[in-house]
Formats: sequence, structure tokens, C-alpha cells
Amino acid sequence: MTLDWWTLGLQTINVVILVWLLSHFLFKPVAQIVAARQQEAGRLLDEAAATRTAAEAERQQAVEARQALAAEREAGLKAVEQEVASTREHLLAEVQREIEQQRAQAEAAQAAQRSSARLQAEEQAGALALDIAAHLLARLPDNLRVTAFLDGLVEGLEQLAPAARQSLVDDRQALILRAPRALAEDELQRCRAALRGALGDELRLTPEVEPALIAGLELEGSSVVVRNSFRADLARLQRELSRHDHADA
Amino acid sequence: MMSSPLVSETLFRLGPLPISKAVAVTWLLMLALAGGSWLLTRRLGLRPSKGQVLLELLVATLDEQIRATMQVAPGRYRALFGTLFLFILAANWSGLVPGLEPPTANLETDAVLALIVLVASIGFGIASQGLRGYLRTFAEPSWVMIPLNIVEQLTRTFSLVVRLFGNIMSGVFVLGIALSLAGLLVPIPFMALDLLTGAIQAYIFSVLAMVFVGAAVEGPASPPSASKE
Repeated sequence: MTLDWWTLGLQTINVVILVWLLSHFLFKPVAQIVAARQQEAGRLLDEAAATRTAAEAERQQAVEARQALAAEREAGLKAVEQEVASTREHLLAEVQREIEQQRAQAEAAQAAQRSSARLQAEEQAGALALDIAAHLLARLPDNLRVTAFLDGLVEGLEQLAPAARQSLVDDRQALILRAPRALAEDELQRCRAALRGALGDELRLTPEVEPALIAGLELEGSSVVVRNSFRADLARLQRELSRHDHADA
Repeated sequence: MMSSPLVSETLFRLGPLPISKAVAVTWLLMLALAGGSWLLTRRLGLRPSKGQVLLELLVATLDEQIRATMQVAPGRYRALFGTLFLFILAANWSGLVPGLEPPTANLETDAVLALIVLVASIGFGIASQGLRGYLRTFAEPSWVMIPLNIVEQLTRTFSLVVRLFGNIMSGVFVLGIALSLAGLLVPIPFMALDLLTGAIQAYIFSVLAMVFVGAAVEGPASPPSASKE
């Protein structure tokens, strides 16, 4: 066995050249492109990680903003609810006050109406009583409508308080004697004679006619009036009835 | 091919240089490999084509094999071992082309490949450990082992030559005998077997080269570690 040294040398050169050729045209370019792809992939991964981090931060911010909005909305709702409750209570109080006021006004109006109706009824009753009394007295003799009341007038004078009686005594020169009709002279003399016993001499009476008295006499001084007439009696009865009605109400 | 496999036949002469068949076929293979690489790597992009995917798969597999065998970053060794594997594979399979003889069935070609591995292991060993450090590995575990370690260097280089030469040359012989005896269809199983044998021998030669260079780079006592590329 002998080695062909030329072949050995040429093949050595060939293999060395082939190593360089494949290194230059195959292995280096492929390794470089793989490294470039790995670098690009790393860059993309870094970008994706950065994007994911940013997205996570934005998501966190959105969550916080949403929570803040929810809290704000909750606070707003609570404030509105409180305001609504306050307004409702205020309105209810106002309505209640208005109702109470209107009810009081209605009750006052009703009481006033009732009182007015009662007064009207009393007046009508008084008028009716006066009419009835007038019709009844019309059947009596005219002298009875005056002279029958003279004794009552004298008793009224005697029952006066001393100060009031003294006031009439002081006014004895200017006393007015009212009667439901014009008094005849004899009737006037009888009245003067009866009153002179109670008030003394120097008595001067000025007769006046007042049909509203129906029957009876009234003596009027400057500050005292002594009544003994149907009108005064009916007025007194009417006051009594009114007082009883008020007491019953 | 029924002539002696130990004799290198001269195909033609370039001046004083005798060009053997093995050299001529090697040139053809160099042309095919370099040209094919140039064509395939002209338009590499970040979005790979199918051809680029295959190339990247080849390089990635080679890197992974270097990393697993030598426990180092593959960058410095990729070109050497990748070229050894591709050239031996292409050379082994070139015997199936009518009229061509595999250069690896030639003793000088295999000797060149083994010598390159020997020189590479010495060179990478010195580059990695320094001259003294590399020479000190011959005295491991004791100076008594220096002759044996030197013999080991030579014998394992010789074993690379003999293994590749024997397997490929025998395949060529078997295929030649089958062709001369049985005609057209009978050699097909032997040709398929040659394909398998050629691939296996290319892989074995490359892996053994990685082991030898890796042992020289790491040293016998140092633990395996992965360095950065």
C-alpha cells in the first residue's frame, strides 16, 4: 500500500477550501438569519411584554376609574335619595300644614256660618215673636199697652243702684219717656204722678213715641235708661236663649 | 471498479499534477455543495421559505449535536463538523451516480479527513487550554501515560481512516460484484443499503470527530460545562 501524496495534498486543500466555502455560503448565513430571527422574536416578545404591561396598567387605571365612578354614582344616588327624602318630608309637612290651615279655615267658616245662621234664626225668631206679641197685644185695649207697665217701671226705678238713681234724679228736668203710642194727657199725668213718687218733684217728662216697644214704657236719662217694655223683655229672652245655645254648643 | 482500492488511479494531469478520480469527484462535490449553498442562501429572510426551513433545521440539529457531544457553544466548530458531515455524506452517496466513485472509498481522502480532525483537535485544544495545558493533558492521570496517550491520538486517527475507508470501499465492492453478477434489479437493495451505510458512516465520523475535539478542548479532568457562544 502506497499513499499518493499528490492526491493527499490536493484533497487536503480541497477539504480546507470546502470548509471555507460552506462556512461562508451556508453555515454563517443560516446561523446569522437564525440569530436575527431569535433577536427579532426577542424584540417582539419584549414589545409584547411592554404592551401587555401597558395594557395591564391601563386596565388597572380603568378598573380604578370605574370604581371611582361607581363610588361617585353611589354617593350621588345617596345624596339624591337624601334630598328626595328631605323634600318629601318638607312637602308632606307643608301639605299637612296646608290641610290643617284649610281645615281650620273651613271649621272657622263653618262656625261663622253656623253662628250667622243662628243669629239670623234668632233674629227671625225675635221678629216672629214680636209679630206674634204685636198681634196678640193688638187685641188688648190700648191703655193696657201703657198703663199696665207703669208699676213695673216704678219698681225698676226703685231697684236701681243709688248712683244710677241719683243720675236720673239729677236729670229729672230732661227725662224722656218712650211709649209705643202717643200718650193721652191723663196717661201722661198718671205717669208723671207715679214717677214723681220715685224721683221727686220738679219732674219734667218729654214723651216720645216708639212703636218698636210693642207695649210698655222706657225712661231715659243722660246716662241711665230704665226699660219696662216687651221689646226689652224679648231682647232679654233672646240673650238668655243665645247664652243657653252657646252653653249647649 | 474491480481494480485495487489501495491504488489511486490518475484521471488526467494538470501540468505536473496528477489528478486522481477522487480529486475530480471531490471537485464536483465541492461545486455542488458550494453552489447549492449559495443558491439556497441567496434569499434568506425572517419569514423562511421551505428550503430555508430545511437549512435551518440542518444547522439547528448540527448545533444541538455539537452542544450535546462537546458541552460547548457550537459557533466555532459548526463549519468544520458541518462540512465533514455534508462532504462525507455527499461523497458516500455519490457512488450511486453511474460513472462516479465515492472519494471516501479512496484511502487518501479518508486519511486527509482524519488528519484534519487530528490537526483540529490539536489546534482547538491549544487554543482552549494553551500549549502547556494541552500538553499537560498527555500526562493525565500520570506521566507514565504519556506514550500511551500519544499512541491513542495516532490510533484513533487511524481508526477513523480505516472505519470510513473499509465501510465505503466494501460497499462499492459489494455493489460492483452484485452488478456484475445479477444485472438490473438485484443491486437495488445493496444500493439502498449503501445509502444507509453512507449516512451512518457520515454521522459516526462527524460524532467521533466531535468527541475527539471535545476531549481536547475540555481536557480529561475538567467537568462538562456550556460556555457562551
